[in-house]
Amino acid sequence: MSVFDGLRFRKVYSPIHNLDPRIKFVYVISIFVVAILFYQIIPLLFLFFLQIPFVLLARVQRQWLRSLRGASFLAGFIFIVNVATTYFTSGYTLLAPNVENAAAMTLRFVVLVESFSVFFLTTSPDHLGLALEESRVPYEFAFAFTTAVRFVPVLAEEAQTIMDAQKARGLELEKGGLLKRIRNYVPVLIPLIVSAIRRSLELAEAMESRAWGATKKRTNLYLLKLRRGDYALLAITVGILVVAIYVRLFVPIPTITQLL
Amino acid sequence: MSKLSRLRLAGTKNMAIIETKNLTYTYPGATKPSIIDVSIKVEKGEFVLITGPSGCGKTTLCRCFNGLVPHFYQGELKGEISVAGVNTLEHHTYEMAKHVGLVFQNPENQLFALSIEKDVAFGLENVGVSREEMRKKVDWALNLTGIYDLRERSPHEISGGQQQRVAIAAVLAMEPEIIVLDEPTSFLDPLSAEKIFEVIYALNKKQGITVILVEHRLDLTAKYTNHLIVMDEGKVRFEGNPREILSTEETRLIGVGIPKATLLYQMLKKDGLNLNGNIPLSSEELADQLLEALKPK
Repeated sequence: MSVFDGLRFRKVYSPIHNLDPRIKFVYVISIFVVAILFYQIIPLLFLFFLQIPFVLLARVQRQWLRSLRGASFLAGFIFIVNVATTYFTSGYTLLAPNVENAAAMTLRFVVLVESFSVFFLTTSPDHLGLALEESRVPYEFAFAFTTAVRFVPVLAEEAQTIMDAQKARGLELEKGGLLKRIRNYVPVLIPLIVSAIRRSLELAEAMESRAWGATKKRTNLYLLKLRRGDYALLAITVGILVVAIYVRLFVPIPTITQLL
Repeated sequence: MSKLSRLRLAGTKNMAIIETKNLTYTYPGATKPSIIDVSIKVEKGEFVLITGPSGCGKTTLCRCFNGLVPHFYQGELKGEISVAGVNTLEHHTYEMAKHVGLVFQNPENQLFALSIEKDVAFGLENVGVSREEMRKKVDWALNLTGIYDLRERSPHEISGGQQQRVAIAAVLAMEPEIIVLDEPTSFLDPLSAEKIFEVIYALNKKQGITVILVEHRLDLTAKYTNHLIVMDEGKVRFEGNPREILSTEETRLIGVGIPKATLLYQMLKKDGLNLNGNIPLSSEELADQLLEALKPK
């Protein structure tokens, strides 16, 4: 099931994977803010390249490139719309600064995508659930999240089984126009939903049998603890924010067209 | 529970860890009861085997033991039941979880966490055990079921047999007095099933945990028990010594899978070959008897 492959988390150990998800999240949000502070291409390029050491350290280059490729369509769209609007509003002339500006807007989008993808590629759902729990999100929500992730491969397998079973009974999934094709999936979806409901009942039963809801003060096997690496990342984040705000306020940033 | 009723129960208990009297239960919306007039008594440290055709009420009876019936399923429960000295009617399932561990058929649907050890810790987390103590209990349960090396794997990476052992470890970590297993091997191949039975038998023998096992595969399990319960259509049809029960014609007609060794013994007996010793429950026992009979005198 290629569709679900992206959701199937594999355990990888790297310095980046071991970082506290909360600090990583603060880092991503800071990059987000900095990307929005600037509209010139040079600082945005700088931000773009800043992520690469993280990707390399976490050894997720391949998945990271894949997520960038996924964003390329939308990025192209943003670029064309930006160029087109300036083209039409500035009297049908195509000026270099306008193109550069459009490129900067596109790059801003790419920076946002890449920083989020680094976060999700290097944070295990287990860690994320734990972070949710420790950020005082009610346990039910954190539990629902990790359980959903847990059952993705199970449901994917089941969907495959049902599809095979229905095909064996003569169901043709790849036939007809778009609407017909969507309708073809109804005989797959209904058994899938019914069995998911039945499964959820069994789950509820198993949870009850293991003392779900026995006490309000739940404990946890794992504890998120800030380590040296986390403090280092926090320092880097604060550094980036300080430098960015200083540059934004006091340093005039040239555009590439000016430099040329 | 009041002090008085606890005393009364203790007085009538006689070492029975589970006792039901005329237990009858109807699921909400059902027209006829799923279990009828069930009166059984299980003593502490016993290995009890419950069998019977599908739909005979075995699963419902298991749900009574930890209070899922009637608290989770609602419906109407009549009669008396006491488990580990507690009346399950008056205590919620999460209170029973400390006394009774329930392992279900489908191993996949009882594991919720993304790592094995987290799953084993689930019950302890719910009860609010401290982290150090939890770590000790989790490791203990993982070691007893032989899955310590898998502790950091995720549930979909391991086999069904291993998943079922995780489910057993998960209830074991709560240190219950009783473990109830509802057809724990119906999703497994014979070899994994046998491994599960060995784990369960060791828990019963070495840890002294009372085991209630619901199974169809009597070939593999009959040898572990000396207390067999046969159910049919919601009623307890036979209760007692498996050697006697399994050699009756009625048991076979109900649809109980009589161990092949027992069947062969009976066929030989019909043909006039009387073997020495008890009615055998496993191939090993029968082999010994045959060897003795075949020895030249």
